[in-house]
This record gives sequence, structure tokens and C-alpha cells, in this order.
Amino acid sequence: MRPLDSVTSKQRVAYGLAFFVLFVALWSWATFGGHVSKTFLANPLTMVQEGYDLLVKQGFVFDIGMTIWRVVGGFALATIIAVPLGVLMGAYKPIEAFLEPFVSFARYLPASAFIPLLILWAGIGELQKLLVIFIGSVFQVMLMVAVTVGATRRDLVEAAYTLGASDRGIIRRVLLPSSAPEIAEILRLVLGWAWTYVIVAELIGSSSGIGHMITDSQALLNTGQIIFGIIVIGLIGLLSDFMFKAFNAWLFPWRLA
Amino acid sequence: MTVLKVEQVSRTFPARHGNAPTRALEPTDLTIGNNDFVTILGPSGCGKSTLLRIVAGLDRPTSGRVTLDGREVTGPGADRGMVFQSYTLFPWLTVRENIAFGLRERGVPEGERNKVADAFIRRVGLSGFENHWPKQLSGGMQQRTAIARALANDPKILLLDEPFGALDNQTRALMQEMLLGIWERDQKTVLFVTHDIEEAIFLGSRVIVMSARPGRIKAEIGVDLPHPRSYKIKTTPEFVQLKERLVEEIRTEALKVAEHA
Repeated sequence: MRPLDSVTSKQRVAYGLAFFVLFVALWSWATFGGHVSKTFLANPLTMVQEGYDLLVKQGFVFDIGMTIWRVVGGFALATIIAVPLGVLMGAYKPIEAFLEPFVSFARYLPASAFIPLLILWAGIGELQKLLVIFIGSVFQVMLMVAVTVGATRRDLVEAAYTLGASDRGIIRRVLLPSSAPEIAEILRLVLGWAWTYVIVAELIGSSSGIGHMITDSQALLNTGQIIFGIIVIGLIGLLSDFMFKAFNAWLFPWRLA
Repeated sequence: MTVLKVEQVSRTFPARHGNAPTRALEPTDLTIGNNDFVTILGPSGCGKSTLLRIVAGLDRPTSGRVTLDGREVTGPGADRGMVFQSYTLFPWLTVRENIAFGLRERGVPEGERNKVADAFIRRVGLSGFENHWPKQLSGGMQQRTAIARALANDPKILLLDEPFGALDNQTRALMQEMLLGIWERDQKTVLFVTHDIEEAIFLGSRVIVMSARPGRIKAEIGVDLPHPRSYKIKTTPEFVQLKERLVEEIRTEALKVAEHA
């Protein structure tokens, strides 16, 4: 090993898998070896059995579907509002001066702390779940998009002006395309955060979803199910991240050229 | 007929962090006629780029005014094409799309746009690279694309701000010949800023020498070398004589800058 030396893609996969193997091995050692009580931590085999039971007999697929729909719905809502506003903030300094202080403040408001209020306002239905994710994501996306658009290379903007671009042309044909890959990265990042919000939202006042299943299992001291639920969230997150990355690479070939 | 008039244009950058305001450019007069190729020569920090940016409309003069064909310049526009020293191709557009950028902004239909773009791609010797991204091009090829992009807009005047400054010597010499070839063939009004003495003489019909701190025009020297010029002209006695004279002019200015640094 030398600093910043590269690895082959085969090695990369092997190393990455090795850690998962190590993780499961440690877990097996702790549980099968009797070092941790069954009450507190299920062993891997029990977890797999409980998971199979959940999927086949208890309709867990429906819960997974509900959770995914909430994340995607709330996140899409936040994106539709936050990206255009963020672009406007980045492009027009007066708009930024108007919105930035409030958005900076609002982004530190913990989305989970809004849950009691949102239950009061929107009940315990789907709207409340969507709103938690919306509040958790919208300000973050807005601010990060504004910074990205504001940091567009000035010389590209000047070049476009000398080519006769109008103000609208600058936004449409310089600011947007030059920021688009960064914006896609921001969305990928914040989607990850949205997953944490949705589970918290489902822990309180919910009758479906992965988070709901986890609270139910807690009442029954079924740690196998809890761990299975957590692992499912991780896997979905990994998958969505991978899809997002592949989609971005396909969308912006000029970056990789 | 294109006439660019710079009348008593000066630029002072306002005071910052307790420093006194900087006078980048003393009141300057300059007239550039139709199909003139004028090079502005000076050491770094002499305000030559500031002057060019004011002509382009990217910077505002503190006093005075710039007119192009009698109309005052108030901002950047397609009638003044610009090539920058830094690589300013749009990385998300291919070579062809970059060159057609200005035409598209004007609403020229795609078929016609591509025809014009392809003609300029041939002119700057980039055939076969139409669909390449800027990242895949060398520095010289990027600047050739940038020149084609500015020319495709058919501006009244072409402004170049040390466009070959970041290139190696061999590439730079080839680029000079290419640019001069285009000018000799198509005739265009050109204002070219450089700190390279040989480049200023080889390309220009007139060399404007600028002094440093504060920036102002120190001398104006006509270059009566015949066209078309080939690279061989750089070793003729006339060329060398001009070069010697300009070396002296520039050297005193460079010394001034060095003393103040």
C-alpha cells in the first residue's frame, strides 16, 4: 500500500465484500458463541428465518412498498419546490439575500421534532409522513442547489454573454447545464437522509411501513425482525444509490469523457 | 465598415481592505478601422486586459466611452466576439454544439446551424472532432474551437485576450499562422492582446505598446510587413529590427513593474 495508489476493480469488490463477511463473522461469534443474550441480539440464522417469515406470511412486502412510496413521494415534492427556488437563489442575488437567512435557519430545524405538530395538523395519514420528509429535505436541497448554481464558472458566463446570450439564455444554457451534475449529486445525498426521516416518521403514529414493523417487533422483543428491517433499509438505500449513480453517469457523459 | 472608437476610457478599481483605489487604466484613446488587425502589447498588470474587457462590455469604464459604429457599448453583445486566455468551452456541449452556441441563441434553425459550424470546424482544422467533448481535446484544439465559436457568430470585431498564452511554443506558432490565415482570407477587424513581442509583430498591422502602472498607451508602431506572412518572416531583418525596438520599449515597463512588486 502506498498513499493514493489505485486498486483494480476486482480488488475493490473483493475488499468491499471482505468487510461484510467479517461483519457477519463477528456477529455470529457474538451470538452463536453465547457472548450476547438472545433477548438482546438475534443470531444471523434467526434473523434470516424471521425475515422469511415476515416476507412470506406477514405481508412485509407491502410495508416495504409503503415506505418506498413515502420516501419517493416526499422527496419528489421537496425536489419540485426546492430545485427551482435554489436555482433562482443561485442566479439572482436579491432572491438569495431574501431567502437565504430563513432557509439557513430552517434547515437546522429537526424534521423529527415536527412530527407531533404535523400529526396535529395533518393527522396520522400519508400526508403527515410525506410532510416530515418534505420538511427534512426541502431546505437542504434549496441551499445546496443555490450554492452550486452560484459557483458556476464566471468565465463560462462571460463567454456566453459575448456570444450574445440573453439573461434567460444564461440561466437555461449555462447555469443549469453546468450545475446539473452537481444538483443530481445533491439529490442523491439528500435522498439518503430522507430514508432516516421516513423511518422516524413511521415509528410514531403509523400502521404500516418498515418503521412500523420495527416498533411492533420491539413490543414482542423480536430482535431478529428488527435487524432484518434495518438490513432491508440498508439494502434499498444501497440499491437506490447505485441506480442514482448509474443514471447520473448516463445523463452526463461529458463529465466522464 | 466597422469602426471601434475608445474615447478617454479609464478604469479605477475601488479601494478594498484599506488599500488605496487602483488606477488600472489611464484615460486612453484608440481607433480601430475596418479589417484592422491591432495587437496590444504590454507586461502583465498594464491594464491591457482591462481595456479589452471594457471593449467587450464585460467591465464598465470609470470614465470615457467605447463606441462601435457610432453606437455606445453598454454591455456584452454578439457583435464583439471574444476569445479568452482560459479554456471557456462549455464542457457539456460537443465541439459542434459549442461553435453553434451563438447561432442557437439567435434562433437559427438546427440544419443551418450545423452547416455553419461544420464550415468553421474545417476552417480551424478540427474535422473528425465534431462530436468530441472539450475534455477530450488538447489545449490548442480547445482554443481553435473557441476561435471558431467566436467567428461563427460573425461579429463585427474579434477580441482576443492572450488566447495562446497557456499553450506551448510550437502549438502557439501554429495557432498564430492559423489565425493570420483566417484573417488574410476573410478580412475581419481584430483586437489582440498579448505580452509576447514576436506574436504582436507577426500578427498585427499595428502594435500598441502599453506602459505599466498606471496603464496607458506608450507607443504605436505600424508593422509594414507584407501579407500573406509565413513563419519565415520572423527571421527577416525587418522583423528583427521591429522586435529589437519593442524589446526596449517593453523592457523599461517590465522593470517598472518589477520595482513596484
